[in-house]
Amino acid sequence: MEPHLAYLDAGSGSLIVQAVVAGTAGVVVAAKLYWRRLTSVFRRKTPAEPAAPVAEQPKATADRD
Amino acid sequence: MTPEHTRPQAEPGSFRDPQTRVFHADGEVLRGLGAQAAQDWKALRASDFFARTQAERTVTRTEEVDRELPGAPGTWSATLRHEPLPFVTYPYEWSHAMRQDAARLHLRLLQDALAAGFTMKDGSAYNVQWRGAAPEFVDVGSFEPARAGEPWAGYRQFCQTLLYPLMLQAHLDLDPRPLLRAQIDGVEPAQMRRMFGGTKRLARGVLKHVHLHDSIQSRNADRSTGAVREQLKDAGFNSELVLAAVKAMAKLVDQLDWAPPATHWGDYRETCSYSEADRAAKQAFVDAALTAAAKTDLVLDLGANDGVFSRQAATRAQHVVAVEADPAVVDTLYRQLRAEGEQRILPIVMDLADPSPGGGWAGTERAGFPQRAARADVTLALALVHHLAIGRNVPLPRVVDWLAGMGRTVVVEFVHAEDPMAQRLLANKPDGLFPDYHVDTFEKLLGERFDIARKETLPGGSRTLIAGVRRD
Repeated sequence: MEPHLAYLDAGSGSLIVQAVVAGTAGVVVAAKLYWRRLTSVFRRKTPAEPAAPVAEQPKATADRD
Repeated sequence: MTPEHTRPQAEPGSFRDPQTRVFHADGEVLRGLGAQAAQDWKALRASDFFARTQAERTVTRTEEVDRELPGAPGTWSATLRHEPLPFVTYPYEWSHAMRQDAARLHLRLLQDALAAGFTMKDGSAYNVQWRGAAPEFVDVGSFEPARAGEPWAGYRQFCQTLLYPLMLQAHLDLDPRPLLRAQIDGVEPAQMRRMFGGTKRLARGVLKHVHLHDSIQSRNADRSTGAVREQLKDAGFNSELVLAAVKAMAKLVDQLDWAPPATHWGDYRETCSYSEADRAAKQAFVDAALTAAAKTDLVLDLGANDGVFSRQAATRAQHVVAVEADPAVVDTLYRQLRAEGEQRILPIVMDLADPSPGGGWAGTERAGFPQRAARADVTLALALVHHLAIGRNVPLPRVVDWLAGMGRTVVVEFVHAEDPMAQRLLANKPDGLFPDYHVDTFEKLLGERFDIARKETLPGGSRTLIAGVRRD
C-alpha cells in the first residue's frame, strides 16, 4: 500500500463509524473488523489453523436502501 | 501579465495542509501547490467533474498562473489564482438554512468527486464561503484522487463543523454559533453526547453519528488511523460503502430542518414607528448617499433587519453584506434571497455589540469582524445607534470611532430619544442615564471624523439621517 499522505487526523474511531453509517453492508464490514480483532489473539497463537469462518463470507456490497 | 507585483502575503488562515497555502497580492488570491498537490491538481483540472464545478460555480473559479510565491526554492510546484470573494464569513455567522445549504454543497461535491475517482481530504465548514446567497467551495486543494477501499478522511470534521451544529438547532432548538465561535474545530462527539441524553438519543441520526461515534472513538483512541484503515480494507471496506455513507449523510442533512420562530423583529416593519412618508424619504436619502459614494464595491448594512435597505443598496452596489443579530430574521431573509437566486446580498448573523473576534491559531486563523469590515466602501447604520447607545450603553464617541473603522462613506439614521422605538429601550434604563444622547451631540462627534455630506430629518420629526465621508 502506498504511504498515506492525509494531513488531517481522520480519527480512527470515526473511520469505523463511517462503515456503520453506510448501512447494512457497512455494518457487516465493521462486525468483521471487530471479529478479526477478537480472533487475532487466537490466530496468532496457532498460525497453522484455518481463518475464522466469518472471514470467508462473500465480499460485502453497498447497501441500497 | 504585469511585470511588477507586490510580494504576496500569506493568508493567516491557510496552513493546516502543508501541501497548499493561500497568499494575497494586490487584491488577488493565489494558492501555492506542493509537488503532490500539483500532481493532484493536474488530474483534477483534466476531469469533467472539475469543469462542471467551474461552470456551476460550486467550486471557486480557479486557473493556473505563472507566478512566484514566497518560500524556499522548490516549495511550490504550481500556482493557482482564485476568483476573490466579496466578503469572508465563518460558520458562527451563518443561519441554520445557510449551514444546511453549506453541508448539502459539501456532500454533493464529494458525491460527484467520488463518482469521478476523486475524494476530499477534509470536511470542514470553513471551506464553504458565500457569493451573495449562493454557497461556494473554496478549497480546490482539498480534492485528490481517491484510494480504493479508504473511508472519507473528512467525516469527523464534517460532523464537528456541519452535521452536529445542524443537529443542535434542528433537534434541540439550540443555536450552535456560540460553540462554533469558541471552538475552531467544532463540536466534539463527547460534548454532543452529553446534550443528547435520554430519549433525545433517538432523534434522527443521533445514535450513529453521536453516541456510536463517541464510543467507538474512545475505544479506538490508542489505535492509529493507518492501522484502522488497513483493518477496514481487510474487512472488505470499499468505495461503494464510502458513497453509501455520503448518501446517507446527505439524506440526514435534508431532514435536519428548522423553522425559524416568529420574533419581535419578524413583524418589525409592521409595528415600526415611521410612516410611509418617512420610509420614502429615508429610501431617497440612502439612494442619494450611495449614488454620491466614490466606491460601492462592498456595502455593509449593519442592523439589516428584513433586508429592505440591503436590497435597495444592491441596486447601486456590487456586494452587500446584511448584518443582523436575530438568527430567525437572517434565516428568513436568506431563504428569500436564495429563492430569488440573489448573488449580491449576503446575510449574516452577528450581534454588533459583540462582533466575531479573531480565532484559531494566534487569534489570526479566523479574522475578526472589524478587520474584515475595514474593507467596506460604504456603511449603512440605519436605526442602529440607539440599540448600541441606549440598549448596550456604548458611549456615542465610541460608536463614531467604530463607524470610522469601516466604510469611507457612512449613512447613519439617528433615532431621537422621544421616538417610540428609543422610548421602548429607555423604559428599561433609569431616567437621565444618557444625557448626551442627542442628535446634535452625535452630529458633532460624527463631524470630527467625517465630512458631513447631507443631513435630513424625516417628516415624522423623530429620526435624522446623516451621510458622511471619512477624512482619511
